Amino acid sequence: MPEVSPATLVEFRDLIVSYGPLRALDGVTGVFLPGATGLLGPNGAGKTTLLKTLLGFLRPDGGSLRAFGLDPGTAALDVRRRIGYMPEGDCHISAMTAAAFVAFAGELSGMPRAEAISRAHEVLYYVGLGEARYRTVDTYSTGMKQRVKLAQALVHDPDLLLLDEPTNGLDPEGREEMLVLIRDVAARRGMSLVLCSHLLRDVERTCENVVVFNQGRVAAAGPIAALTGPRAPVFDVRLKGDPTAFLTDLKDAGGDWREGEDAYRVFLPEGRGPEAIFGLARDCGVQVRYLRPGAESLEDVFLRALAEPLAPTLSSDGTGRGQG
Amino acid sequence: MPIYDQTYRRYEARGPLRQVRFWPITREALRLILAKRAFLGLLGVALLPLVVRAVQIYVVTRVPEAGRILPIDGRLFGEFLNQQIGFVLLLSVFGGAGLIANDLRTGAILIYLSRPLTRRDYVFGKLGVLLALNFGVTLGPALVLYGIGIAVAPEVFVRADRAWIAPAIVLHSAVIAGVLGLVALAASSLSRSARIAGLGFFGLVAGLETARGILGAMSHRPEAHVLSLQHDLRMLGNAFFGIAERGVSVPTSYPALVLGLVCVACLAILRARVRAVEVVR
Repeated sequence: MPEVSPATLVEFRDLIVSYGPLRALDGVTGVFLPGATGLLGPNGAGKTTLLKTLLGFLRPDGGSLRAFGLDPGTAALDVRRRIGYMPEGDCHISAMTAAAFVAFAGELSGMPRAEAISRAHEVLYYVGLGEARYRTVDTYSTGMKQRVKLAQALVHDPDLLLLDEPTNGLDPEGREEMLVLIRDVAARRGMSLVLCSHLLRDVERTCENVVVFNQGRVAAAGPIAALTGPRAPVFDVRLKGDPTAFLTDLKDAGGDWREGEDAYRVFLPEGRGPEAIFGLARDCGVQVRYLRPGAESLEDVFLRALAEPLAPTLSSDGTGRGQG
Repeated sequence: MPIYDQTYRRYEARGPLRQVRFWPITREALRLILAKRAFLGLLGVALLPLVVRAVQIYVVTRVPEAGRILPIDGRLFGEFLNQQIGFVLLLSVFGGAGLIANDLRTGAILIYLSRPLTRRDYVFGKLGVLLALNFGVTLGPALVLYGIGIAVAPEVFVRADRAWIAPAIVLHSAVIAGVLGLVALAASSLSRSARIAGLGFFGLVAGLETARGILGAMSHRPEAHVLSLQHDLRMLGNAFFGIAERGVSVPTSYPALVLGLVCVACLAILRARVRAVEVVR
């Protein structure tokens, strides 16, 4: 078995995957580095297709995909045994207790039976289901089912954990607990993971890297810190008066804006400062009632990536943005 | 202390992949099925013919005149296995209907297929359940019966010209268990509901039997009998054990061909269904 490159767990280059005439992945290039990586994108963007190709369920029509230095198309079993997959949908075996279910999952991954049983109990305690491990999974709440799904993905101690919408259907408390678990797995247990989610806050809280998919292509990729770092001055602004002229003139001046919860997020052209906002406000007859320097959030990166025309490029440091 | 602060031990003892990867699937599914008392009751009833046949052998060895009405020779095992076909059908309905259908309903199929298992491992694992159950009421009791025959009436069964009995038992049991197991599994893969899958399997078998009866009565052609799976299995069994069947004169190759085609169709269905699940979900 080839050695795992310390720099890259998964590498895909010009990867094309089609369902009949529909291209789900259209020549995507990128990497999953050790640590936690968020996989973002709207529905149908190609996230789940990439996961299925990684697991060897789908054969690429072109390009290459390597996981741990192996081709999942020809060495699917060797790749899968090093991956823990937590599917998006419900998945359990009727009438089986959580302890039996997780131990069974361990056995399916190639663990000896005795070791799988021992690990199942440990992992169920770890995800907070120790007291309920002898109940059948059918009787579990949604939150408990999500946890048992995480436990079955962890039981064989994979090198890479694939989490497909792990907070789906959870109440705020359950979601918080699941995110804490995910962070713990990545930060303290030294396990790499790919978190596939629609929820940007979840990805922002748990991941260091992100790959944004749009229409089967990579729209942005790289460390979240680099993508959300200073690109252009950003301010949160509240205005009094009709803001239409202000916002139009802002766009004309090369800036941009987005409506936030209680303020406008204003993106100024590079090299411009808050005085530009005051100047524009004066010219347009509105008052600036609140102004605070802001930083770009993952949401800003995501929305900009989706809005930009797609021509995926990756720089040598693995950071890339969709560029027009 | 938060629950997630409890020890998480890394697992470093990753060994080579098992050669026989389907066994845990078979074992766990069997464990779940055999935990049902009703199913155990059905298995118990299915073994009653064994007791009856054992008594028959015992009685004939003690009262030889009874052998004129109930002869004990190689045909006894063929008749016994043909009787067991009905129980195999019942076990396949109750034990096999949910094997894949439940995995489709609960999404568990992804748990299997995301592991280091091939689709073949999955299908073999599920088929193994039905083979174990079906052999449990065919091969197992037939070999026990043969053992009883050898023990009680060695002069009848321990003879060179009856050495074919044991291979015939194995062959006929394998055909019954294999064909009906495959049909039940294919039916299970066609629905997300175990009930619908079970009804579908039962409907197919009963429907073909009914069609055989109607067509046979209308056309008076012996070829009509190959429509029924049960009848095909019986005809093959009769050929294996040298039992003459009144009124039916169809070459043995006919039912063998039909059953072979049924098996190929079932494998094609399983291949298509398990593959589709992977892609669609």
